[in-house]
Amino acid sequence: MDLSVNFMGLQLKNPIMVASSPLTRNGEAMKKAIEAGAGAVITETITSEIRRSVKPCLASNEFGMQNIYFFSEYALEDWEYEIEQAKDCGGTVIANIVAYSASEMAYIAKRVEKFGADAVELCLSTPYGDGIEVLASEPEKVYEFVDEVVKAVEIPVMVKLSPSVNNVAKLAKAAEKAGAAAISGINTIRSILGVDIEKGKTLLPTYGGYSGPAIRPISLAFTATVAQATNLPICGIGGIDTYYHVLEYMMLGANTVQICTSAILNGYGHIRKLIQDLEKWMKDHHYESFEQIRGKALDSLKSFEEMKVEPYIADVADDENDTGGKEYESSCVYGAIYRNENRLKVDPEKCTGCGLCANRWPDIFKMIWKE
Amino acid sequence: MANIRDVAKKAGVSVATVSRVLNHPNTVSPTTMEYVLSVIKELNYTPNGLARSLALNKTNTIALLIPNILNPLYMEIAKGVEDVAHKKGYNTLLCNTEESQKKEADYIDMLIKRRVDGLILTASLLNKEEIQQIKKQDITLVMIGKNKNVKHGSVVFTDYMLGGYIATKHLIEIGYKRIAHISGAVHQIENQEKRAGYEKALKENNLPIDKRYIVEGNNEIEGGYLAAKKLLQLKCKPEAIFVANDLMAFGAIDAIKSEGLRIPEDIAIVGFDNIEMSALVEPKLTTVSQPAYKMGLLSARLLFDHIENGDDEEHVHQEIFLQPKLKVRKSCGHEERVREIFS
Repeated sequence: MDLSVNFMGLQLKNPIMVASSPLTRNGEAMKKAIEAGAGAVITETITSEIRRSVKPCLASNEFGMQNIYFFSEYALEDWEYEIEQAKDCGGTVIANIVAYSASEMAYIAKRVEKFGADAVELCLSTPYGDGIEVLASEPEKVYEFVDEVVKAVEIPVMVKLSPSVNNVAKLAKAAEKAGAAAISGINTIRSILGVDIEKGKTLLPTYGGYSGPAIRPISLAFTATVAQATNLPICGIGGIDTYYHVLEYMMLGANTVQICTSAILNGYGHIRKLIQDLEKWMKDHHYESFEQIRGKALDSLKSFEEMKVEPYIADVADDENDTGGKEYESSCVYGAIYRNENRLKVDPEKCTGCGLCANRWPDIFKMIWKE
Repeated sequence: MANIRDVAKKAGVSVATVSRVLNHPNTVSPTTMEYVLSVIKELNYTPNGLARSLALNKTNTIALLIPNILNPLYMEIAKGVEDVAHKKGYNTLLCNTEESQKKEADYIDMLIKRRVDGLILTASLLNKEEIQQIKKQDITLVMIGKNKNVKHGSVVFTDYMLGGYIATKHLIEIGYKRIAHISGAVHQIENQEKRAGYEKALKENNLPIDKRYIVEGNNEIEGGYLAAKKLLQLKCKPEAIFVANDLMAFGAIDAIKSEGLRIPEDIAIVGFDNIEMSALVEPKLTTVSQPAYKMGLLSARLLFDHIENGDDEEHVHQEIFLQPKLKVRKSCGHEERVREIFS
């Protein structure tokens, strides 16, 4: 099974990249990611000016992780050595850069190109402080930044966008028009992880970026939207814990993906495991390349006009599976589930066919056509 | 003390080889290199910097010219320049021009004679002839802030007109009508631009431009103090003042307090520069931030791009624009301030 992909003209041994984060904070860290099998690494965000980093800056809850300030603590000059380190062990290195004007962005891009980066990822969507998400919410601004960088460098330019905007399709199109080679997304989402109610204080001292499984559905929608709106290759990011999630992204049009939170929480070894599982699934399903599955699920996405209203309702599929431990009756918002002589029943008059019970307990409920 | 000949003799190589080990290591084989370096260490030999400069026609020195050494803004620029220069193994000479075109030209004359490898001019006042003079000497030049006499060259700049505009517009949006302006020394382009931005915002909002409300300061704390005193003597005092730099804003705050008035309740203030002190004064100063440290870093990077890569077009002419940004704190009287550590 060949896991390799061609992405923006870069030949990658597999589509799994490690996202811009502490996992790629320097040459040594990037080396670990490459040795764990990553198809490419994306540097921690390189800026023209190092700003003091607040500690602590990471916290997690059951759904994901909040970070504040993931910009590199290495000066622009230092990245020459760090990128070289990662390249030396055969890695593909994409430099993630951020700047607050198009000319500054183009300058940093030129520098990292000289340092040997194989591509750049323009971060037009940081959720920190007052960041530049405001700039990146306007197609004109996206165009201005991308255009200036594309003119300044020869390497491919990938544009990292945020879903926290009015219409992401317009932004992706603006990037495409300006000559971007790919779109990546999503960035983390502006968040406050929580409040310690005893102390009356937020868990981290400022707004941050939220990542992990909770943002995956948001990112899947982003991927599908960009796939439908543009012809650009897509790198999906957000909440990828297992091979399954990689396939979800691909079936919605992604060519590659980036992982971050799961590898931060579980270590670099998680990357290797994910790639192995991915390969196994592809083999088991007799696929030879990712092109065969890419965008497969997009056809099942319909607009409201296209969808037919079919007379579905729920029914009990197999109440033998009912261990009696769950309160199915009270879980139906329409009051359609009831028991008769200890057997589960669905009242066809009350059931509206919402489908939630069949989704939650597929062993017990199924959807049927109403007679 | 050992000299280069002693090293060559002991190592059994030519003086030229020792020189190549020190200056062009890539032209020497690793074995020779390692051996020569061990001899250098053994004899405790340090190359003579002066002789080295003569031989290489390079002094590993750059110069940064700033208009006012007492203004912390320029210290932030200097730190940026020095951070990059040090990484590159260069010394940085700091020259204080005191906003005098003559002093600036004098310094440049001296620096050319000392053969510095590059010059960074901040808010330069040089005229066409003086700029031509530098270009003739083939010295690498980068500007911080535009000088209209330099048409073709590398520059890091911010938009002062936009800065003046957003500061004034912010005051208008809060609801002030009588907004005064304490300008910096008017012979500096940046101060003309800040004032133009101030006037543009007033015009756009149909507010009159009243000459009595525009007072020139001298860029320093005292200038701001005197200018504010002058404004306070007007029969119809301004409700708010946009001050062209933070130092003058400190002076203005002092003057307003000395008259028993409160900031921002009686008179609101917005400054320009966002020097570190502006977050420490009482009340904390709302100001337009120009990223001075970053300007220093980037100007030095442009300079070394040019020094290291020679005269090809890509490195001789590079323009980097940095966005001015409003930092909303307390002195403007804006109540819906969102508290953000990183903004």
